[in-house]
Amino acid sequence: MLQFPLWKICLILGIMLWGIMMALPNVVNMSGAPAGVPKQGVNLGLDLQGGVYLMMEINPDEVVANRLEVFAIDVRNALGNKDGKTLIGHLPTIDGRTLNINLTRPDADGNFPMDEALTRVRKLNGSVEGAIGGAKTYDIEAAGPAVIKVTVPATSEETLMKDALAKTMTIVRRRVDPEGVSEISITPQGNNRIILEAPGEPDATRLKNLLSRDGKMTFNLVESSPSAIAAAEKGVIKPGYRLLTGPETGPLLVRNIPEVTGADIATASQGYDDGNRPQINFRLNGNGASKFYQTTRNNSGKLFAIVLDDTIMSAPRINEPIPGGSVRITGNFSLPEAQDLAAIIEAGEMPAKVQFLDQRTVSATLGQDSIRAGVRASLIGLALVAFFMILAYGLMGVFAVGSLAANIVLIVGALSGLGATLTLPGIAGIILTIGMAVDANVLVFERIREEQRSGRSPLTAVQAGYERALSTILDANITTFIAASILYLLGSGPVKGFAVTLAIGIVTSVFTAFVLTRWFTVMYLKGFKPKKFAL
Amino acid sequence: MLLRYWPESTNIRFMSLRMGGALLSVLMITASIYFLAARGLNLGVDFAGGTVMEIQQTETVTVETVRAAMPFTAEVNSAVGTDARAIIVVKFGAADPSKLGEEFTTLKPEAQAERAQQVTNDIVKETLMEKLGLTDEDFLRDDSVGPKVSGELFRSGILALVVALALMLAYIWFRFEWQFSVGAVAALAHDVIITLGVFSLMQLEFNLTTIAALLTIIGYSMNDTVVVFDRVREERRKYKKMPDRQVIDQSLNMTLSRTLLTSGTTLLALFAIFFLGGPVLRGMSFALIWGIFIGTYSSIFIASAIVLSLGMDLNKKPAEDVTGFQGIR
Repeated sequence: MLQFPLWKICLILGIMLWGIMMALPNVVNMSGAPAGVPKQGVNLGLDLQGGVYLMMEINPDEVVANRLEVFAIDVRNALGNKDGKTLIGHLPTIDGRTLNINLTRPDADGNFPMDEALTRVRKLNGSVEGAIGGAKTYDIEAAGPAVIKVTVPATSEETLMKDALAKTMTIVRRRVDPEGVSEISITPQGNNRIILEAPGEPDATRLKNLLSRDGKMTFNLVESSPSAIAAAEKGVIKPGYRLLTGPETGPLLVRNIPEVTGADIATASQGYDDGNRPQINFRLNGNGASKFYQTTRNNSGKLFAIVLDDTIMSAPRINEPIPGGSVRITGNFSLPEAQDLAAIIEAGEMPAKVQFLDQRTVSATLGQDSIRAGVRASLIGLALVAFFMILAYGLMGVFAVGSLAANIVLIVGALSGLGATLTLPGIAGIILTIGMAVDANVLVFERIREEQRSGRSPLTAVQAGYERALSTILDANITTFIAASILYLLGSGPVKGFAVTLAIGIVTSVFTAFVLTRWFTVMYLKGFKPKKFAL
Repeated sequence: MLLRYWPESTNIRFMSLRMGGALLSVLMITASIYFLAARGLNLGVDFAGGTVMEIQQTETVTVETVRAAMPFTAEVNSAVGTDARAIIVVKFGAADPSKLGEEFTTLKPEAQAERAQQVTNDIVKETLMEKLGLTDEDFLRDDSVGPKVSGELFRSGILALVVALALMLAYIWFRFEWQFSVGAVAALAHDVIITLGVFSLMQLEFNLTTIAALLTIIGYSMNDTVVVFDRVREERRKYKKMPDRQVIDQSLNMTLSRTLLTSGTTLLALFAIFFLGGPVLRGMSFALIWGIFIGTYSSIFIASAIVLSLGMDLNKKPAEDVTGFQGIR
């Protein structure tokens, strides 16, 4: 307990040096420091620096339904009369998590071509990616003489969800951070949730608007005759068309099947029109550009609607064939509106709508208030602790305060070095740790007092005091450390922030109270050799 | 200059007071359970769902103007915010679906249930910005928690608490004996129930941060109990013929000056935070101050008293079996 060989001293000094190096950027601006020196201070949580926290969820039912919708289009092609095959008449309907394909045309004997239809539909059924034993994406079976039922089994749903979550995360990132420069963090949670944390961003409504849109973009031909529109408004809609509206165009009849879809958009960006008003420019890929050219060549004089999430953005008249695939949307956009729309269009369509479950916004002002109040309270608390310790223990109290100061440096250094995030409950965790560090010192000092009373010399009293207090200190701190680890693993938000600093603090407290104070004491005792140890 | 504030040795017969302590604890626990049943906890938005907004108070933005501008029913109060800032606190649940716009009514019922809170929040914020000329920066805080997440947060908080307790007890069992483990569980359960009772009685807001506070109380109480237990174990082995009751009393007296010094020092720091740390840290520091008192009390009158009632086996074992840490230097 009293021996400090050179290697131990080097280790203690090394640890302290590391702590100081890591903690330094929090007090001094280190941007001019040489390479290799840490420049980054502690990561502040959103509650301390301000920002928006959003928890989103994608609904498995919707992901499955959307997938079945896409599959229905494949089915339509497979049952059609392409490639010399006969047409099998059918009507697809999606009911929750099931796609029902009703065969509509019996042969002369009243039988439906079920076997042929099943064979053709099953050919479309691919294997689940990465699944063992070649599990199929869909369960396809006959339900009665004229109905084919398509469902998604659990194994393939898992893959679908994983896929949808990854896609949604990419789209979320591209929508909120099109330039890829901001500090927004987007992390998955479980198999259908995404957490977005945007430090410094005060406007949660804008973020939610950006993310709540499907981003489904289509280019559809329009039936613009006033009589057809008037009829549609009375409920008689021309077959193959639907009635949509838009702020610029008013109600129009739009063809159900689009000519070009958002999948064919290569890039989208915000630009300006001739009157210097914001507009959205985009460029189609090769496939999209050729389809666009074909459509504009064959439909001169008609309106061509650009539809985003069932709202007509614009519907210009086709005057001449347009080659090259450059398209723009003009309208009454504000600059941020046009930028956000461009980001939504460029990012593409969400696999399923996101739901917002939990939203927390803290302004930068409140964050600064919290830091100021937290730091002030901690400093005053520390000063009081220091005063009290020195009053109670004299010189040993000074040693204890020295190691408490070292403890704070190490906690800040460790938080910075490990890239942990400091939150407001985290500050409370540090305060609790300081209490425990004080306790460790007090335990030892009281033990030394007892040993001195029973007549031991200062050096042996210190030796015995530390030996006896060790098991108590370890028991107390290990118990708390267990609690901190569980809180970190199972807790969320503030509880986690508290657990991180508590766990780090326990380790540094034991080190400073048990090793550092002891080293100071031993150096003093060996250097000055006092006859009576005032404590 | 050393402060000699405490006699070198005391001889308080704590264990003769244990029946009184037990009676007091039973009374406090009964009262707590009564309050929890009758008044319940004042759940914050974390656990109850809903929205809480904090708005910077100015000459034109006051409780009256905000109340007048609110599109839905809401609780609007003025308060002192972090760092003594004058703020207005607005609390509301999800508004009636028919008032949330046309787009909302077309949603499926389950999507409506989950989205209503967020949509209400957006409408309120927009209306206040428009009518009172507020900007995003004037909303110091705006938290909206939907029903799904609030339930989950509550469950995960309770789960974390229970698992942490169970593991701490396993550790005590491993390091001491089952009697000590039982004493420690009872002491912690005692502390948690009475603390919840105090939260219910004073109708203090119970949120995620409170769970962290509750855990801190448990941490402190556990720390105190372990310190006492360690001493009891040591004294038990030293004085093999002494009755349990005397061993425990002696150990409590020996750790008393440590307990008072540590608590005194920590309390000093905590009171500073309580008065100067702003409202967020105030809840936390209140919990800690309370925790120090209840934790110290329960180590003596619950944990130690139970160990005394159950009896110890320590004296029958050789010393090496129990102290695993003596090898560490």
